[in-house]
Amino acid sequence: MFDWLVLKALFRPVLLRWECFRCCSSVRHLLCLIALLAGGSVLTHAPAVAAEPVAARSDLTATIDRAIRSAWQQQKIEPADRCSDPVFVRRVYLDLLGRVPTMEERDTFLANASADRRSKLVDQLLTSPEQAEHFADLFDAILLGRGNQGVYDQREKHGWKKYLVNAIAENRPWNDVAAEVLLARPEAPQQDGAVWFLYEKKDKYQEIAEAVAPAFFGIRIECAQCHDHMMVDEITQADYWGLVAFFNRGKNKMTPNGPRVVESAIGGFSEFADLTGSSSPNRLQFMGKGPLDEARPKAGDKQQDKDELYIKAAVKNDPRVPKFSRREQFVKQVLVEHPLLARAMVNRLWAIMMGRGLVHPYDEIDSMHPPSHPELLDALTQDFRESGFQMRRLVRALANSEAYQLQAIRPESVNDPQWFAWYLQRPLTAEQMARSLQVVLRGEASLNRTLLASLRTQVPDVLPDNVQVDVTEALFMTNGAQLEAMIQNSRQPQSLHQRTLRQSNHPSRAKWLVDAVLGRSADQAEIDAITAYLAERDDRLEQAIDQVIWSLVSSGEFRFNH
Amino acid sequence: MRPKHQPNDPSPPRDLRYGCGGSEHTVHRRLFLEGSFAAGAASLASFSGLFSIPAVAEETKRAGKKCILLWLCGAPSQFEMWDPKPGTETGGPFAAINTNLPGVQVSSLMPKCATIMDKLAVVRSMSTKPSEHFQGIDALTRGDAPRPPFVRPILGSVVAEQLGQLDSPVPQFILLDPCPEGNEFKAFKAGNWAGWLGAQYGPVRAGGDYGIANLEKSAAISDLDHSDREALRSFFTKKFANDQRSEAADNYNAAYQRVKGLMSCAPLFDLNKLPVADRERYGGGAFAQHALQARHLIENGSTFVMVANGMPWDNHVFQHEMHQMLVPELDNVLFQLVSDLEDRGLLEETLVIAMGEFGRTPWLNEARGRDHYPKAWSMAMAGGGVKGGVVHGATDSQGYEVVDGKADNRNLFATIFAALGIDPHQEYELPGLPTFHRVEEDAAPIKEVLL
Repeated sequence: MFDWLVLKALFRPVLLRWECFRCCSSVRHLLCLIALLAGGSVLTHAPAVAAEPVAARSDLTATIDRAIRSAWQQQKIEPADRCSDPVFVRRVYLDLLGRVPTMEERDTFLANASADRRSKLVDQLLTSPEQAEHFADLFDAILLGRGNQGVYDQREKHGWKKYLVNAIAENRPWNDVAAEVLLARPEAPQQDGAVWFLYEKKDKYQEIAEAVAPAFFGIRIECAQCHDHMMVDEITQADYWGLVAFFNRGKNKMTPNGPRVVESAIGGFSEFADLTGSSSPNRLQFMGKGPLDEARPKAGDKQQDKDELYIKAAVKNDPRVPKFSRREQFVKQVLVEHPLLARAMVNRLWAIMMGRGLVHPYDEIDSMHPPSHPELLDALTQDFRESGFQMRRLVRALANSEAYQLQAIRPESVNDPQWFAWYLQRPLTAEQMARSLQVVLRGEASLNRTLLASLRTQVPDVLPDNVQVDVTEALFMTNGAQLEAMIQNSRQPQSLHQRTLRQSNHPSRAKWLVDAVLGRSADQAEIDAITAYLAERDDRLEQAIDQVIWSLVSSGEFRFNH
Repeated sequence: MRPKHQPNDPSPPRDLRYGCGGSEHTVHRRLFLEGSFAAGAASLASFSGLFSIPAVAEETKRAGKKCILLWLCGAPSQFEMWDPKPGTETGGPFAAINTNLPGVQVSSLMPKCATIMDKLAVVRSMSTKPSEHFQGIDALTRGDAPRPPFVRPILGSVVAEQLGQLDSPVPQFILLDPCPEGNEFKAFKAGNWAGWLGAQYGPVRAGGDYGIANLEKSAAISDLDHSDREALRSFFTKKFANDQRSEAADNYNAAYQRVKGLMSCAPLFDLNKLPVADRERYGGGAFAQHALQARHLIENGSTFVMVANGMPWDNHVFQHEMHQMLVPELDNVLFQLVSDLEDRGLLEETLVIAMGEFGRTPWLNEARGRDHYPKAWSMAMAGGGVKGGVVHGATDSQGYEVVDGKADNRNLFATIFAALGIDPHQEYELPGLPTFHRVEEDAAPIKEVLL
C-alpha cells in the first residue's frame, strides 16, 4: 500500500539538511545546555508533591497569595503597591469582559464603599455573557491561531465560535470540552462546532499533531519531528509520530449534518527515520501513554477495508465509525487522564490573567522550563482536577489574588517578571481594542465588525512574548478610514463627542475627555495641553474635540492594559 | 504635512536631499510654549524635547554607502547573459558579442551593458547548493541557509541597520515590487525579513499593490491639526511611559515617530512625479520604472532599495523566447542605472547588484526550457566598493562546472559587505542570540572584484 507518510519519513533525513533544523538551536536550549555542562542539576518532570486538599473558593485565592508572598520573601522582593480602584476597574473589565468599563459601570463600582467591592465585581463580571464572548475570542486565537477574515467567517459559520462561547458561559468542564473537540463526533447539534478544530486542518496530520500538543498538553513538539527532542528528554520522536498516527486515519467530509472528520479502520502505518537513518514504526503513543495494542500489517501486506470493521453512527447521516477508532482511543486512553491536560489549562489561565505563565512560555510545559512556583502550580492543578476542571473557579481566584491587584509599575529593585511583583502590562488584543473603542466613543459595549476585521490584521498577537508595534499599525491608527469614521460618526447625544461638547469650558472638557477615555482624572499638564489645543481651535471646536479624542485613544495608555 | 517641494517643481528646495520639508516644529513651539500650557511643563522633565522634530540635518548622515539590488527572481540564465557559450551544444541560439573590455564577450541580448563592461564586475563562477526557489531565495537574500528558530536578517535589513541614517524620515530599506504574486517568492515575501535585527529594520514595501497603506491623511483634517494632535498623542504616551516605566509604551511611541516621516515622503513613492524623459529612457514596464524609482529614493536618502517584479525569470518553458524579452529589458535598466549614478557622482558610493537565486541548466528540457542549476552561474555588480572591468572566475567550455574562482553565497555576501564597508565576519551581539556571524565560517570575499 502506498503511504505518503512512509515516503515522507524516509526522506526526512535528506530534507533535514536543507530545511529542517527546527530546533537544536533555540536560545533557551543552548543556555540550558551550558547550565548542564556546568554541572547544573537536571530538571525532571516532577509529579505533584503533597498539594493541599481541595480548597474552598476563597481558600484558592489564599493558596495563591501564600505561595506568591513566600517567593517574594525568599527573593527579598518588595512588591508594587496595591492598585487603586479606578485602575482595578479598568483592568478587570479588560481582562474579564474584554473591554474597558463604561463611565456608568465604573462610577457604580467607585461609589461602592463595601470592603468586598472588588470580589463582588469579579463575581458579577464572571457571569456576564460578555465574559464568555471575550474568553471565546482568546481561546479561538490560542487554540486555532489567527487567520484572515475568511478563516474567521468559517469558524463562525460552522459553529466553532458558538461552541466555545457556550462552553465558557456554561462553565463546562475542560476535560469534557477537550474530549469532544478531539473525538469530533458530535452527538447533539450543540456539539457540532467542536468538529472545526480538526476540520480546519484539512487532513494535514502533522499540523493536527502540532496543534493538539500545545492546545491540550501545553507543550511544543515540533522539535521532535526529526529526532528525539535534544533537550527535553520526555518528548521523543516516537511521541511526535505517535500523536500524528492517532489522527492520520481522518478525512474531512462535508455531510448533511455539517463538517465531519470520517475515520478509516485501516491504514496509517508508517515508519519514521531518525538522524542516523534507522527507522521505527509509528505506534500509538504519546507522552507516557501507550503504545496501545494494535495489530500491525506485515510489510508489503495490503489491508482490506471491510464493512465489518465499522459500526453505524449513532446520529443519522453521520459517517460510520471504526470499531477500533484511533481518535477514540486517544481521547479515552491518552487525553482525559493525562496530567498535562489540567496543568496546561491552569498555566494558560494563569498567563491570561497574570501576563505570563507560571511556566513561561505558557505552552512549553516541559522539563526545560521549570515553573517559577512549582508547588503552587501543582496545588492549582490538583484543585482544578478535583473541582471538575472548572475554569471559572480559577479565574475568579486569580482576579481576587493579591498579585493580580498590584500596580502595573515595576518596583525599581525588581527586574524579573516571574515573581509577579507587579501587574505585568500587556497590549490589548484586536478584540479588546475594538470593543473598548466602541465603549469609549459610543458609550455602548457592542462590536464594530468592520473595525475589528481591520484591527485583527494590524494587531494579530494574543499573549505575545514581547511587544513590537509596527509602523503600519501607527499609520492605520493615524490615517485609517475606519477609526476616523468611528470617531466622526459618534455624534449621537450619548456619544463622547456630544457629552464633551456640552461641558461649559475647555478645562472641563479636558477633564471630561481624559476621564472618559483613560478612566482616571486628568493631571494639570494634561488639562493645560488639551485646553491649549482646543483654545486655538475655537472656530472649529467640533473637529478639535475629535482630534483630542483621537490623541487619547491612540495613546499608549489606552493601547495597554495596566 | 505635504512637502512644499514637488519633484517636478523647477526650483529645487533647500532640503530635497532628505525628501521632506519640515516647518511643523515651529507650529508646535508656538502652540505649546505659549499660553497656559507652559505652566504645567515643570511636571515633565523632557517637556521641551517632546515637540522638537529630530533634525533631518546633515550631521546625522552616516558616511556609509548605499545599495540597489535588482532582484532577478526565478533565476535568469547565465548563458543568455554573462557567460555565453556560442556554437556549443548548450549555447542556445543567441550570439556572443564583444564588449568594451578586450577579450570579454556577453550575450548578444545585452548590447548596452557590453558598452559599460569596464564599469561592471561579473562573477561567472557562482556555485551554490539550494536548487529550489524558496531555499535559493533564502540563501541568496540572507546569505546563508536557515537555522530555525533563528531568522537571519535579509541583506537589506543588515545594510539598513549598519549604514542607515537613523534620523532620516526616508525609509532606509525599501522593497519595490509591484507584483504581489510570484510562487515561492510570494511565500518568501510573507515571511520575516528583518529576522533577529527586529521589525524596525524590515523593508517598507511599495510599488504596485504594495503601495503603502494609510499614507495619506484624511482631507477632513488640516496639516496643522494633524500634526498637533500627534504631538498631543505623543505627550500623553510619553507621560504614561515615564509614570509606568513602560518600555512597551516607548516602543509604541517610536512606531508613531516614523509616521510623520513616511507621510512627508509620500511623493518620493509617486512614480508620476518623476521626469517623463527619465521614465522613457528606462523604458516601460514595472521593473524598469521601479529601477528608476530606486535611483530616486537612493538620491533622496534611502540606503537600500530592492527592486523585484514577482518571479518572472523561472523559464522552464520556452526559455529562449522568454529571455529574449527579459534580458534586453534588464540590459537597458542596468545600463541606465549605472550610467545615471555615474553622471550624478553617486556610483562610487552606490553598489548595484543584479542577480537571481541560482542559474539555469546547460541543457534544455522537453519544453525548451532551462531548469534550475545552482552549480555554475553568473551575477553582476557595479559601483560601491567594487572594481569595474573585472570578470571573475570561469566555467568549462559548455558551462557545466566552475573551473576557476568558485564562489558560493557566503563568499558573495562577504564580498558585498566588504564592498559596502561593513565587516563581513563580525559577530552579531544581540541578547539571547547564540553565536552568529554576519558571514559564517570566515568565508572569504572575492578579492579580485574589490577595490
